[in-house]
Amino acid sequence: MDDKFSFKSGHRARAVYLIFAYIFLIILMICMIVPIIKVIVDSLDPTATYGINLWPKKIDLVAYKHILNTKSLYRPFFVSVLTTVVGTFVGLLIVTVTAYVITQKDMPGQKLIVKLILFTMMFNGGLIPTYLTVQAFGLMDSIWAVILPLTLSAYNIILMKSFFESIPGTLFEAAEIDGCTPIGIFLKIILPLSKPALASIGLFIAVTMWNDFFHFQIYITDPLWQNFQLKLREMILSESQVGTPTTSAMSAEMLKSAIVVVVITPFLVIYPFVQKYFVKGVTIGAVKG
Amino acid sequence: MARKTTAISAIPTKKVPLKKRLYKYRYFYVMFIPVFLLFMIFNYIPMIGIFISFFDWGLFGANEFVGLDNFKALFSSNLFWRAFRNTLFLSFVNLILSMIFSVGLAVILDDLIGKKFKKFAQTVLYIPHFLSWVVVASIFTMFLSPQDGVINKVIEAFGGDSIYFMVDKNWWTVIFLLINRWKETGWGTIIFIAALTGVDQEMYEAAKIDGATRIQRILYITLPSIQNTILVVFVLNLAKVLNIFEPIFVLYNSSVLSVSDVIGTYVYRMGIINQDYGMSTAAGLFKSVVSLVLVSMSNRISKKVKGEGII
Repeated sequence: MDDKFSFKSGHRARAVYLIFAYIFLIILMICMIVPIIKVIVDSLDPTATYGINLWPKKIDLVAYKHILNTKSLYRPFFVSVLTTVVGTFVGLLIVTVTAYVITQKDMPGQKLIVKLILFTMMFNGGLIPTYLTVQAFGLMDSIWAVILPLTLSAYNIILMKSFFESIPGTLFEAAEIDGCTPIGIFLKIILPLSKPALASIGLFIAVTMWNDFFHFQIYITDPLWQNFQLKLREMILSESQVGTPTTSAMSAEMLKSAIVVVVITPFLVIYPFVQKYFVKGVTIGAVKG
Repeated sequence: MARKTTAISAIPTKKVPLKKRLYKYRYFYVMFIPVFLLFMIFNYIPMIGIFISFFDWGLFGANEFVGLDNFKALFSSNLFWRAFRNTLFLSFVNLILSMIFSVGLAVILDDLIGKKFKKFAQTVLYIPHFLSWVVVASIFTMFLSPQDGVINKVIEAFGGDSIYFMVDKNWWTVIFLLINRWKETGWGTIIFIAALTGVDQEMYEAAKIDGATRIQRILYITLPSIQNTILVVFVLNLAKVLNIFEPIFVLYNSSVLSVSDVIGTYVYRMGIINQDYGMSTAAGLFKSVVSLVLVSMSNRISKKVKGEGII
């Protein structure tokens, strides 16, 4: 609705409503962002945890220096980066290929494949059978036990499929006439036209990989393959410090806050660039069902 | 391949012999094989593992077939029923709240006149969704801490006593639901906002001329126009209702177990910690079956309401 904003008699009720809507939204936005700002402030300000201030009175990078000097955090960070990069690549490959296959409406067995994928959304063997299967395939303590189940997302496949279906079919016919193979069509036509979907689904997969805790908790017992989330959780629970004892200049909260900030920073950096694709990438499939 | 197959694909499918169609799509079958194998390994082979629930399963494999004994033990266990009740309560209240908050917020966002503000608000409101549950739990444990937490500092500043939010049974449930809303409300709006852009603007104009108030317009135009989307989201979320695990796992602790233990965490403790595979699998199977019943029920309701199912 594009009514003009004014206080003329006819518009008064709408104007009052809008003012309240804006105030409500601003309060809501503050609620969403304050906990995150507070963590950032706490990580910088040695006095912050003992006050309510949302602006650092004194900036001290001691917690970040401590993290940089803590070698035991390097490996989990590397594991997180590795699973995210490999997982996103493999995930996009699986999702796009599967979506491309199930858009072939007159391919024999297409319906069966769709049902096979949809069924996994509704029923699964459960924790223990899955755990034992992963164990039987020798995937324990391997990042594939984390990456592969996360990439087999029926939801992402359906989103991608709906996106592919919005591409005009005449393009494929023209390409076929020019002698393009299915793989050529996929690489030269579909993928270049699907950038919004690739960007948003790629980000979803990346975030899932970076944030994963559950699969690491269950399938990874070797400290060598712990990821950053697991390390953070371990630290929060044990209340112990990472490596060396803290100096008086740095409280336990300050260090925890700094680690939280390190965990969320990569996402906060990428987010603004991909955000504009979300609505397009996510909703095309979802609204249609 | 080229010209002939194009002509074929334009003709209704059934006239083309199966052999030719199989040949035409040979590349696609090859492409799908690896994905098929992965789906088998991670989704379908574990389904066979359901038989574990009929065995007394020790550390060294299946010891003995016990029939329905695991289920009998499970259904006579108070702890299991407590977890079942908690699962239903926490996830249903969470689902209802998420529908109300997300639809409401989407309606408000859609009404705004400032495009730039709207974009900015969406950007801010989506952020919490992308934080991991571990991070969210860390942030709020510090935030709500009885010693140095901001909230308790404020309470003390007003002369109150500090509250041990995370270990108090009554507070835990409230805090859990609030944290879930904090994390997911903004993101939940995205799909409804998209649906709202498709609502016919002329209906609003007509309603305005007829003297409909804002509330009436929302009730009689906005909500009915997006009811299909609301239904789809509801059914998809209903499928996941009993799977609630990670948010609980990172936020619960032994002092609030009576209100926070859900089937997911129960299965985890029974299976991974206690290694009672038989009982744990039985509990998991029970959960999956109830989920399946819930989904097919709501799918049937949606068929009655709007003439088509969702799945």
